[in-house]
Amino acid sequence: MTSYRLASGGAANRGRSLTFTFDGRTYKGFEGDTLASALLANDQMLMARSFKYHRPRGVVTAGSAEPNALMTIGAGARSEPNARATVVELYDRLVAVSQNRWPSLKHDFGALNNVLSPFLGAGFYYKTFMWPALFWEKLYEPLIRRAAGLGKAVMQADPDRYEKSWTHCDLLVIGAGPAGLTAALAAGRAGARVILADEGFRLGGSMLSESAMVGGMPACDFATTTVEELATLPNVTLMPRTTVFGWYDDMVFGAVERVQKHVATPSPDLPMERLWRIVAKRAILAAGAEERPLVFGGNDRPGVMTAGAIRTYLNRYGVAVGGKVAVFTNGGSGYRTAADLVARGVDVTAIIDARPGSADPVPQGIRVIRGGSVTDTRGWHRIDGLIAERSGFEEVIACDALAMSGGWSPVVHLMCQRGAKPVWSDEKQAFMAPDLGGAFVAAGSAAGFDGLSDCLKDGAAKAHTVLESLGRRALPLALPRVEGEYDASFAPLWYVPGAKNKAFVDFQNDVHVGDLGLAQREGFRHIEHTKRYTTAGMATDQGKLGNINTVGIVAGMRGVSPAEIGTTTFRPFYTPVSFGALAGSARAEHAAPVRTSPLAGWARKNGAAFVEAGPWHRSAWFPREGEKTWRESVDREVLNVRANAGLCDVSTLGKIEIFGAGAAEFLDRIYCNGFLKLPVGKARYGLMLREDGIVFDDGTTSRLSENHYVMTTTTAYAAEVLSHMEFAAQTFWPELDVRFVSVTDQWAQMSLAGPKARIILGRVVQDDISDAAFPFLAAKEVTLRGGLRARLFRISFSGELAYELAVPAGFGEAVADAIMDAGHEDGICAYGVEALNVLRVEKGHVTHSELEGRTTADDVGLGRMMAMQKPDFIGKRLSTRFGLTAADRLQLVGLKPVEADKEIRAGAHLLKDQAKPSLANDQGFVSSACFSPTLGHFIALAMLKSGRERFGEKIIVWDGLRGTEVPAEVCPPVFVDPENTKLHL
Amino acid sequence: MASLITCPHCGARPKEEFSVRGAAMPARPSPMAKDEAWHAYVYIRDNPKGRYQEYWHHAAGCRRWLVVDRDNLTHDVFGVTDAADFVQARGIE
Amino acid sequence: MSINLLHRHVLEDYISGFETDPNPNHVAVSRRPVIFSVLAHRGQETAVAEALGSAHGVVLRFCSPSEWLLVSRTAGPATVAGILSDIAGASFADQSDGRVLMTISGPSVRNILGKCVAVDLHPEVFAEDYSANMLFCHVAANVARSGPDTFEIIVPRSLAGSAFEELLEMGREHALTRGFSD
Repeated sequence: MTSYRLASGGAANRGRSLTFTFDGRTYKGFEGDTLASALLANDQMLMARSFKYHRPRGVVTAGSAEPNALMTIGAGARSEPNARATVVELYDRLVAVSQNRWPSLKHDFGALNNVLSPFLGAGFYYKTFMWPALFWEKLYEPLIRRAAGLGKAVMQADPDRYEKSWTHCDLLVIGAGPAGLTAALAAGRAGARVILADEGFRLGGSMLSESAMVGGMPACDFATTTVEELATLPNVTLMPRTTVFGWYDDMVFGAVERVQKHVATPSPDLPMERLWRIVAKRAILAAGAEERPLVFGGNDRPGVMTAGAIRTYLNRYGVAVGGKVAVFTNGGSGYRTAADLVARGVDVTAIIDARPGSADPVPQGIRVIRGGSVTDTRGWHRIDGLIAERSGFEEVIACDALAMSGGWSPVVHLMCQRGAKPVWSDEKQAFMAPDLGGAFVAAGSAAGFDGLSDCLKDGAAKAHTVLESLGRRALPLALPRVEGEYDASFAPLWYVPGAKNKAFVDFQNDVHVGDLGLAQREGFRHIEHTKRYTTAGMATDQGKLGNINTVGIVAGMRGVSPAEIGTTTFRPFYTPVSFGALAGSARAEHAAPVRTSPLAGWARKNGAAFVEAGPWHRSAWFPREGEKTWRESVDREVLNVRANAGLCDVSTLGKIEIFGAGAAEFLDRIYCNGFLKLPVGKARYGLMLREDGIVFDDGTTSRLSENHYVMTTTTAYAAEVLSHMEFAAQTFWPELDVRFVSVTDQWAQMSLAGPKARIILGRVVQDDISDAAFPFLAAKEVTLRGGLRARLFRISFSGELAYELAVPAGFGEAVADAIMDAGHEDGICAYGVEALNVLRVEKGHVTHSELEGRTTADDVGLGRMMAMQKPDFIGKRLSTRFGLTAADRLQLVGLKPVEADKEIRAGAHLLKDQAKPSLANDQGFVSSACFSPTLGHFIALAMLKSGRERFGEKIIVWDGLRGTEVPAEVCPPVFVDPENTKLHL
Repeated sequence: MASLITCPHCGARPKEEFSVRGAAMPARPSPMAKDEAWHAYVYIRDNPKGRYQEYWHHAAGCRRWLVVDRDNLTHDVFGVTDAADFVQARGIE
Repeated sequence: MSINLLHRHVLEDYISGFETDPNPNHVAVSRRPVIFSVLAHRGQETAVAEALGSAHGVVLRFCSPSEWLLVSRTAGPATVAGILSDIAGASFADQSDGRVLMTISGPSVRNILGKCVAVDLHPEVFAEDYSANMLFCHVAANVARSGPDTFEIIVPRSLAGSAFEELLEMGREHALTRGFSD
């Protein structure tokens, strides 16, 4: 037995035993254990294999910086790879599996890499697998990926729910250790809205692992008492299991709460994790400090751990990591660990202190080797001895665990995520938090304080300063007396010379000191280059443990101060965040909001197939029994509209209500055609340009009364047009009295088209809608039989006699049903946007297939609409530019295949007859194409160079994607009823 | 993750409520202005690193156009005004 | 011939059949509230706001310095239109069919709404009778506090289904129930 649970002590609940498995073996732990502490309690020190060399690895830390003890937790769809055993809260029936080994953790075939390691140094892949280039993707990369790696993601869908939430506070305290607790308490008692977040499942931070007495009780109990008081304050929110992972603009913090990660049977009503966006007026970073490993030969042997981690396992979890523990230190932490171990009856074989002398108290009877170092360790799956060196003399010291302490680095990551760099302190031999001007400050050991009493004091002091800046006063906090604290100061020691084995800097990515030297020699000297060349700091732990040592060692190699080397860039996330949490509820059908037409129910009843059009789901076609393809349905719908009548949902069009004495003038400036003289009761087709003279959008606007209009826009541009109008009204012509509001959602709008449209509509509408009373382009309020008020517009997209009827949305389905009933005897059908598209192509009407951001009004044959006599309209000035009026611009034409059975596809390019496909020979392209059931062959709208001069010419429609060339005749773009006789029936 | 814009009408709001149109400085020239003025207005924008005034539309809020005065490097926001007030002030200058 | 037209609420399918006895946390959807958009014309903003503020039987929801929603559960649309016609400098449009009004209440209401909106709803910041437009479950909406633990939310009809589903999902951990209020 080497590591074991002590007979008593620790904060784990010994009254509640939990069962779990690791690599198929069953173990027992306690409630309040982490997976790592429970494994150690069961003498399972070997926990993983390293990434590159497959070296056996044990746990190094007891917290979120852990580089080694990565495991896959859970089974099936709930498998989570690369979880750090040091932060996984133990629960009953937890399943853990080791990673990156084959066939087993103890006997790993990949360890061959360790033998080959002299050839696998930094940059090895880049140098070795350079050629043949083709082999990289096919051979080398898959091989390397199989050999090196972490856990594997499962392919099943995640069965759990995730949520996102916002919250707001005066003060966010990050970290619930000594400084965080006093900061939260001071601010909480002062009545401020406080959030105290900590990544651990139990609040208290380092106090849970301390052997000192605080306020006359064990530090752990003091923490518990303080947390209990905080919990009674209604203005304080405690957030355990919550990692604040990022600091973003405007004092927004990102945090992830592990709501049910520790639960054996998750509740379906709770999220697995919750992503928080915390808006804080002020924030205090009390994230503590990270103990640095020492970089010496063989420092990655399982059983070599930071001194602080060994104390945590001992004091918090009641676990001794070994029976014979050696200590290698350059500061007080090592002595404290030795003292705590001795106090709990654990044998300490020696303290090897790199310093020639120190005032740290030595536990009685413990041998200290001053000015000594460790040059190598022994053992394979676990350390069984070390080689200590002093003044050229070596000795072997037997041990089954080695505590190492290289000093402390304040955890300042969050404060450096928005560009500020940490500041090197010669005095502290550490990078310190930058000064951010008071809104976000560090406290406690994150601010460089060593002692427990200093941290308690600093937390309260920082809270007072912060509250003052918010105009709040806090009463001074009576600070507890601390007994038995130790001096955590240390002498710098970046690299232990004389290593007889690899000395690892980055455990997770297997980067050792030799790699850093190689990077310097090969010119990758900038710390960001060193990082990328060696991959130091690029693993999932992002170098929390190793980065500062990397900087120190590189500084030593270059003979400069670490200040001159600087750190690599700090970025969110502080620790890995699951994709589930980042996605929240926005997945599958909830990925984005869906807009539902008020006529969706009517369309469903009539058997519609739906198509996504932006956020809308629009009815695309209405298949009937026996129709096998969408084309059959569309052809039928088109022919029926031309012969009888059809009803189509056009509710998705943007509808904007426009008011004001300046409305007419405003519309006259927004549209390129004239609107001043539009009579009341009439609709007009309007074309909007962008300021650069290109067409923006089209639609109709109707004048309902003198100073009241309603505009329709295309479905796609509804939001853009309203924004554009608001912008123009606010910034171009603020003197015009005009106001708008979107009424898109208020109205269900349906188009009734076809020669029988009037007869059918007459059965539903009370008013006289004869051609004389309600001529083409009439737009009026009408009353439906039964009394419902509605708006009726005689406008046509299909080229048929057509009306658009708008009714309050809640009545849409009922009115559409009534029209279908009224039209039954006349053969009415429902038609969808596909048929609508065929009808408009037949009629030569343009949509955003033609108005695609490059075309002018003249290009699409609407040049005569431009009322150039108007003093001003948007787009007027630049529309007359040479480039936009050139004779060889692409112009809208129609196309019909020379051989009637040939198909023309949209996107195909146009070539002169006999010309070879090339960019130089390109004459234009097909913008819209469809089969015209009315004509019995394919037709198309196309943009063709000088197209309007080329009617009758035979050209080639070249579809490079499908490899077809179809001869076609250029013709005017209106295929059906060019004289518009049907409109005026 | 997030950043906030303080709308003068609605208060602090996440950037998702807004859409950005670009530089606020150039005023729309008069219809009679020279070609160069129109060309500059439609196409030419400074692209400074640092402090910048931009049109932002509070599309999911009050639907007012705003002028956000901010540093595009640090995202420090120095002020947010209603675009109508901004235009009026520019007119007076 | 007279046609009998049935009015249909857009959330009918989301509520009918799911109605239970309301839990402490409950969302109630109004079947046929009267909702008008009111726009103040240039220079008339203050006068219109004052006139709207003194109107009876209606509540006012702030949208922008020149735009409000006027909501009534008691007066009919003609009555509200009548009130509005009498206000000089105001234009208005009936949105009763274009907006969905829901009232969410209960002890956990702020926790639930924290997952729906980014705005601080603490009573010191977002007091009773305060209202504003904001994103609610990714949808542009108007949110008002009508009581210590009660909020009224107005969403566009076409997006009401999406927003309502999301709200229910966010209310799951607090056992949020749903129903029509009338």
